[in-house]
Amino acid sequence: MTQPLKPFGYFEPTTIEEAAQILSKYGTKAKVLAGGIDLVARMRRRLIQPQYVVSILNIPGLDYIQSDEAGLRFGALTAIRSIEFSPIIERDYAVLHEAASQIASVQVKTMGTAVGNLCVATPASDIASALYALAARLRITGSASEKIIPIEDFFVGVNKSVLEPGEIVTEVILPSPTLQTGGAFFKLVRTAADIAKVNVAVSLTVTDNRCGEARIALGSVAPTVIRATHAEEALKGSTLEPKVVEQAAQLAAQEAKPIADLRSTVEYRRGMVRVLVRRAVEKALTRARA
Amino acid sequence: MKQLIQLTVNGELHEVRVEPWKTLLEVIRDDIGLTSPKEACSTGECSACTVLLNGKPVNSCLVLAVEAQSKDILTIEGLSQGSKLHPLQDAFIRHGAIQCGFCTPGMLLSAKALLDENPQPTEEEIREAISGNLCRCTGYNKIVEAILEVAQSQ
Repeated sequence: MTQPLKPFGYFEPTTIEEAAQILSKYGTKAKVLAGGIDLVARMRRRLIQPQYVVSILNIPGLDYIQSDEAGLRFGALTAIRSIEFSPIIERDYAVLHEAASQIASVQVKTMGTAVGNLCVATPASDIASALYALAARLRITGSASEKIIPIEDFFVGVNKSVLEPGEIVTEVILPSPTLQTGGAFFKLVRTAADIAKVNVAVSLTVTDNRCGEARIALGSVAPTVIRATHAEEALKGSTLEPKVVEQAAQLAAQEAKPIADLRSTVEYRRGMVRVLVRRAVEKALTRARA
Repeated sequence: MKQLIQLTVNGELHEVRVEPWKTLLEVIRDDIGLTSPKEACSTGECSACTVLLNGKPVNSCLVLAVEAQSKDILTIEGLSQGSKLHPLQDAFIRHGAIQCGFCTPGMLLSAKALLDENPQPTEEEIREAISGNLCRCTGYNKIVEAILEVAQSQ
């Protein structure tokens, strides 16, 4: 059941410093508004009831996608739709492009920001899985400090991140892709607009027919998105023949710690992790060799 | 604590005093008096509340009215030119792409946003563009056919 929004104090700061100060002052009573997809919907479901809403939409310079030799960066207000249609991301970061493309609906992607999606800290985030595979780092800005952390250190549990009151994720930073790197993203959903039962993001580097780097991220099968590190180890240094790929897929299925809910059973999710990891590694491999 | 905001709705400038916790949908329906955007799920799942905000489709049930300050809003009331229907409206009628009509304003605006951005979409691109707009009369095929016809005649 949803209801009209309850009254709240509303702020429209025009600088990050000002936003961080307001957020520090009100602590857990305040929430950040960017795209509003999660925040407003949860307020209407009465799941959260912030006394203050701090819109960061009027802060200039947070909506961009920039790339240089060091890699690619995008800001706190970059919409998922902008990521989907970025030619650079489609060419150099296929995992992220595919994750953004498979999210429904157009309305949600137009309003919703990638950073906002991360800050919700849902284990079903397609964006988070893709960014794990791409070794993304997050810039976190507070009123008096700034730090950059690997995305894997950001999530603590279901709907929980390391963000302290007064801190804002201001930027996502991706390393530059190397020539023989390939990636792929797969997910399984009930309907196009639903969240993933399972999602899998893979990034592989192949040199002289051998696997160098391997990153495999699994979504919707643990309290946070996780890396399948045993599966990654099985791939590294191998020539990626079908037997090895299948073995890695089985290891990934064992590493998954899914729950049963209305979308799937534990057994089904594990089974699908195996299938999707195999498919994603095969596709990433084809791309790395292309 | 009301805030004075300016919205351009279907080409007309409106000044409204709104509380920050009013959604754009509430303000369009209750203050401006246009009832084509519908409230159903209130959580961004059904898109019956779709309006175009600066030309892009959004779920107005999740947008605060204050966020739309100085922006351009299009609802279905602004789509026809007097009594002359927009080609999409015309095609929807001819293809029987309407049953109960509840989802129709949102469908039409999603379709318009698609054709403005991509005048020659494939059938798959059309299906993706309306994937967020739920129709409970299960009329999707006729809706897709209507949009496809307009795209092909452009």
